[in-house]
Amino acid sequence: MVHVQGPWSELLGRLSPSAIPNNPIITGAFLFSAVIGIVLLGYVTYAGKWGYLWREWLTTVDHKKIGVMYIIVGLVMLFRGFIDALMMRTQQMLADGPHSAGFLGAAHGYLIPYHFDQIYSAHGTIMILFAATPILVGIMNVVVPLQIGARDMAFPYLNALGLWLTVVGAALIMMSLFLGDFSHAGWVGMTPLTELAYSPGVGVDYWMWAIQIASVGTTLGAANLIATIIKMRAPGMTWGRLPIFTWTALSTNIIALTSFPVLGVSLALLGLDRYFGTHFFTAGMGGNLMLYSNLFWMWGHPEVYFVILPAFGMMSEIIPTFSEKALFGYITMVAASFAIAGVSWSVWLHHFFTMGASPAVNTFFSIATMVVGIPTGVKVFNWAFTIYRGRSRFDTPMMWAIGALFMLLLGGLTGMMLAMPPINYSVHNSVFVVAHFHTMLMVVIYGIMGGVSYWFPKVFGFKLDETLGKRFFWYFTAGTIMVFVPMYLSGFMGMTRRLDYLANPHLLPFEVLEEFGIGLYTVSVYYFVRQLYVSLRDRSENRVGANAWGTGRTLEWMTASPTPFYNFAVTPRVNARDELIWRKEQGFENTLPTQYEDILMPKNTAVPLLIGAFSLALGFGLVWRIWWMTDLSLLGVVLTVIARSFVRVTDYVVGASEVEQIERRSRTRGQSPRPDSRRGGMGVFRPSRSNT
Amino acid sequence: MVAKRLRLLARYITLIPGLFLAGCSSQGLSRQFVLFRPAGPLANVDFRFTILDVAVMLGIIVPTTIMTIVFLLRYRKTNTKAVYEPKWSHSNFIEFVVWTIPILTVAMLGYYSYQGTFAVDPYNPRLINHSVGGKKAPRPLDVDVITTDWQWLFIYPKQHIATANELVIPVGTPVHFHLTSATVVNDFYIPKLAGMIDIMPGMRTKQVLVADKVGLYQGYSANFSGGGFSWMGFKTKVVGQNTFQTWAKHIAKSPQTLNYAGFNAFAKPYKNVDGKTDQFSHVSAGLFDRVIKAVTMGKVYKTPLPTYGKA
Repeated sequence: MVHVQGPWSELLGRLSPSAIPNNPIITGAFLFSAVIGIVLLGYVTYAGKWGYLWREWLTTVDHKKIGVMYIIVGLVMLFRGFIDALMMRTQQMLADGPHSAGFLGAAHGYLIPYHFDQIYSAHGTIMILFAATPILVGIMNVVVPLQIGARDMAFPYLNALGLWLTVVGAALIMMSLFLGDFSHAGWVGMTPLTELAYSPGVGVDYWMWAIQIASVGTTLGAANLIATIIKMRAPGMTWGRLPIFTWTALSTNIIALTSFPVLGVSLALLGLDRYFGTHFFTAGMGGNLMLYSNLFWMWGHPEVYFVILPAFGMMSEIIPTFSEKALFGYITMVAASFAIAGVSWSVWLHHFFTMGASPAVNTFFSIATMVVGIPTGVKVFNWAFTIYRGRSRFDTPMMWAIGALFMLLLGGLTGMMLAMPPINYSVHNSVFVVAHFHTMLMVVIYGIMGGVSYWFPKVFGFKLDETLGKRFFWYFTAGTIMVFVPMYLSGFMGMTRRLDYLANPHLLPFEVLEEFGIGLYTVSVYYFVRQLYVSLRDRSENRVGANAWGTGRTLEWMTASPTPFYNFAVTPRVNARDELIWRKEQGFENTLPTQYEDILMPKNTAVPLLIGAFSLALGFGLVWRIWWMTDLSLLGVVLTVIARSFVRVTDYVVGASEVEQIERRSRTRGQSPRPDSRRGGMGVFRPSRSNT
Repeated sequence: MVAKRLRLLARYITLIPGLFLAGCSSQGLSRQFVLFRPAGPLANVDFRFTILDVAVMLGIIVPTTIMTIVFLLRYRKTNTKAVYEPKWSHSNFIEFVVWTIPILTVAMLGYYSYQGTFAVDPYNPRLINHSVGGKKAPRPLDVDVITTDWQWLFIYPKQHIATANELVIPVGTPVHFHLTSATVVNDFYIPKLAGMIDIMPGMRTKQVLVADKVGLYQGYSANFSGGGFSWMGFKTKVVGQNTFQTWAKHIAKSPQTLNYAGFNAFAKPYKNVDGKTDQFSHVSAGLFDRVIKAVTMGKVYKTPLPTYGKA
């Protein structure tokens, strides 16, 4: 065990009263979070919902509820990441040129460098790993079992465990805001800056353990989704009939399963350096810091495709639905997804072309990177030809999908520039790169927003408000252009990234434009929240039937909206790629099952939540080096897992008659919505009964 | 109504960057786009490849964008005159075309990438040698670069002098840089002269450049290296060859000298907020190698423990 700078005690580790940051901004953030937390907890107590929360959410193994919780966690973290972005943009606008004023103890702007560095590191870590990833995992969780006609995931208990481990990671990052500090070394954790000599505080430990614990969850989730897609498909659902989103979910989870362990190992090695004084990634004593860069990006680049492939999948579902036409080139779309997944493992070095590798090495990775452009280009053409000779309607999900398509074109242009080393050398660590990967992540965000508004009625039984949704879309798009076009341009002015202070005063107009853009984003966030509120308020008027958009093509649109907890009363037999379209043509659309069967469903369990709680204590103990806490919580995890293995009955039976009743009720509700009814019908909010 | 107007407003706002750009060029702000105004063969090649790549890519992206917009408009649901073929989802011909176009583009760009990468390879500067060849090429100048937390040290080993946070080089002369870091990773970057190259502790990288014109160029560290990173800029003065000789002789008389112990004092964490520069004479021979050796043997320049919530 290495000696750390500063005091340490047996009982509290490195924790001491001085760990509470004395900073007006952080105090404000704490008060804000505390008020929201107290209001939420107070509401739950006042409404007497603790029992309901425990039974229906905290201990649930229902894939839809778990998916919804993943998305809620992701959205909360997205908001946190957005606040970080707002702070960074404001700082860069204020701290421009040697004559810029300073506030709150900063020489320029209002953030001291060390604080700014933590904010940009948190922004990256949160947006990639605790916003985009959980939301996508959530959407896959909700949609994939429905699309393949399964009742739940292959391993429902493991699914819940994945969720709670992700929540633990997010919780650790939020804790770092109010207790100690966060890493200042970027979301990539640049070695040897992350080593104890150059980051002696707890920040890097928070970053490291938050990601480590959450990545275990993501890896388990990936194994689960792969098993589900391979083994749980409804009869007749051959590989050739698998919906395209499920295909991309499969390819993306193969990436996750193979790449996340690399991240785990590289962080574990870094942990050995920081805790045991080894020299894996130090500059001296035989360590090799570039080894870390290689390992990190061997995960990091596949991770980029891990987030973008499901977005492509969602676009491929939304565009045919709203073009009222079959997806063009299904087979090449599948091939393209797997080609992208395959090439994703052999492009990692383009993240550090400038390290001085030989031109032969750089040429290899350059061309490999460009090769990704081939299947991606094919996808764009296929989407265009799906629209060709269709009947496009511009509902909100379609707007997002088209927006994503155009973002992809811009991101592809700049991506092809960066793939070429001579160009890369001149903009590698500049804000041009920042603008490029944000454009690509916008494809993901647009896909997510499209996917969420597309499948929302399936889960909740009512649509999101269209007017507010479109206003959200337009403000968001305007914000995107206003922030990132000036950012591209500043890149050509030689502006490097991660700057707390800009030495070049000519950048000011661009920074002002970007600040204006982030203001537009803020307006869009307002419309998003308002959209949720209004849709929830008027839900009885926006109730939808099974086929929420009227032109759904795949299995999920055949079961009731909101989907009952068992998904399908009778497991459907699949006859075509676009099963619902096929059934419509054959006139089977409204055929009801002649008889119902007993359904075996997984029981709720508190075990994943308990393991999550122990993991949180473990992470906290590791960050602050409180060894009794780490030992006890690790023991807790092991004992809980052993105890769970003795539970023999993990399923329960839903009787055929009960299924029939539920189905009859949901049919009458679907056909004649009662305007007076403000209660019930909120899908996942409805108790799933007989579950104890 | 209000909603519609707001939406229109939001749409108009998206046009502003375009107007802004148009405004830039007339006000001389365009001179600030340093990457478009290279002052050396290396930066020039980088720029030429940028133009080439963008031109080739726009050749695909512009038609694709137009095609998509036309399809969206023509095949909108409200246009009842357009053909509707809900089952049409495959065409061998279209598949062939949409695979061929990206493949050919990537093949072309891949070839250019190969050419460009070898052309600007900092370890085998064919381009530099070629660009100063023909005429009576001046002898190359060697500069050893060491970054610390958070300063630059430029050592001129042949002249036994060194400067901190300021680089002076002669015009039209190939300058061979050897770079290392005493602490963490930085990037050596002079936008108008040369692209980025990593500077890593315990390792040595190289860069090579020629400046075509006398002038003042801004250099940066491009890779984040900690609290003082934002102030890690350095002025690059490109001077006439004779002026350089005079300058070197002048620095050689500087009262400040530099040996390894002096370097260790210099390398203590320091945020160069005021843009301080230093000149050293009698620089110990082999200082650069000694710093690398010490770092590989485990020498670190520790960052002090921060106060939470403060710098």
